[in-house]
Amino acid sequence: MNKNKTAELSPYYNKVHFWGRLWSVGALLVLLSVPTAICAHLGVWPDAGSVLKALIKVIPIYWGTAVIEVLTYTPMLGAGGTYLSFVTGNITNLKMPCGLNAMENAKVKANSEEGEVISTIAIGASAITTTVIIAVGVVIFAPFLSKLTDPQSVYSPAFTYILPALFGALGAGYFRKHWKISVFPILIGVAVLFFSPTLAVGTLIFITIVASVGGALLMIKLKLV
Amino acid sequence: MADFKVSGFMYGLAAFVILFVVIESVFFMAKAWKRGKELGISKQTLKNTVFSSILFTIAPALSILTTVIVLASALGIVLPWIRLSVIGNLAYETVASETMLNVFGSSLSAEITDPSQFGAVAWVMTIGTSFALVLLPLMCKTIQMKVGKAVHKSEKSSKTADVISAAAFIGIIAAFIARAIYGKSTDGVGDAGFMSVCTLVTAIIVSLILETLCEKFSLKRLQPFAMPLSMFAAMGMAVLLNLVVPEAVANFTWWG
Repeated sequence: MNKNKTAELSPYYNKVHFWGRLWSVGALLVLLSVPTAICAHLGVWPDAGSVLKALIKVIPIYWGTAVIEVLTYTPMLGAGGTYLSFVTGNITNLKMPCGLNAMENAKVKANSEEGEVISTIAIGASAITTTVIIAVGVVIFAPFLSKLTDPQSVYSPAFTYILPALFGALGAGYFRKHWKISVFPILIGVAVLFFSPTLAVGTLIFITIVASVGGALLMIKLKLV
Repeated sequence: MADFKVSGFMYGLAAFVILFVVIESVFFMAKAWKRGKELGISKQTLKNTVFSSILFTIAPALSILTTVIVLASALGIVLPWIRLSVIGNLAYETVASETMLNVFGSSLSAEITDPSQFGAVAWVMTIGTSFALVLLPLMCKTIQMKVGKAVHKSEKSSKTADVISAAAFIGIIAAFIARAIYGKSTDGVGDAGFMSVCTLVTAIIVSLILETLCEKFSLKRLQPFAMPLSMFAAMGMAVLLNLVVPEAVANFTWWG
């Protein structure tokens, strides 16, 4: 049974999953080593009760979102892109739009091996760039950047509204090609926000994807697209 | 006494984590590059993917750097640097650290001077955001196989597969468009209103103009950069509007 399942993916995909699993476990160990090393070095171990009090508030949101994110992003970013994105972080605001943009430019589909390759290269390049910018920024530009992004700075609106700028630019191409199926999920998103304006973006994405795919299937059935 | 939050030890930890991230990225890129060449993807396409992704990343990365600096006032510069170079995220790290500090009766507006509180914040940030790394090895392959099967079935009708694939992408983008039109943030910064809508519309219009120009004049070299350029133009519009329109208009949001 297992053998048959594995045989459905190409050898390259199987290799990517093997590497991805190893790197994910490695990343988990590296991440856990940070607080462990800090506490060991400082010779202090925080009170477990206090940490649990905070975790009880944080875990339902973060772990629930993690399940939704894994389900949502894996089909979008391919295996390599997904493994890499979840280790390097900043998925919704950077890695995911970057991967989508690269696949759109290269005219490849997300669920093809070509899409897998392009998405992985884009997300890898993005992860390295982010790491370099943050490292250089921390070392050199920290005092300057804080002035640039200070709420009183004339440049601060550019950073405050970075997400509308990013997703407007990314969405334009899709809306032009598929305007008939684009309107419905946006309306659903706005309607949901009308009742729950601060809804977490991970949950909202799940709702708009279901609306978008459902709407598209209905339109195909009605021969509107 | 030296600040334990920005000691040589902390910088060493940061170097270790960052090295891991860079090596993993290079590893996956190298494997994908090799496979891309085997699949017949041109070297130019692969290079364009790298360059446009780098350009695409600059502005959001500066925004992430801003979060590092904001968190630095309470946590020192190194812990936020570590967290936002790996699994971290703009919103998660702020909420996790604030929640932990609230338990101690403190907040991010004050600098942490107690090493025990610092250690607790590091644990909550890590445990809160690491769950996906447990799920991925268990679920990623299964999800991909199921999606592959569904796509394979629908490939009987190529057009249907294309529409469904596009619809899934549009679903993701729609969430952020909807937030720009009618969303509200938990901290009151960047709520939907005049500025968010103008920034969004500018990005869409500039992107459409650039794409049309690329198609009409066959500007293949410009095409990969149309999206990041549109994003920068929209960010520039946000700055410009904030300078030229009356304050009451610029600050208008649906949420008052």
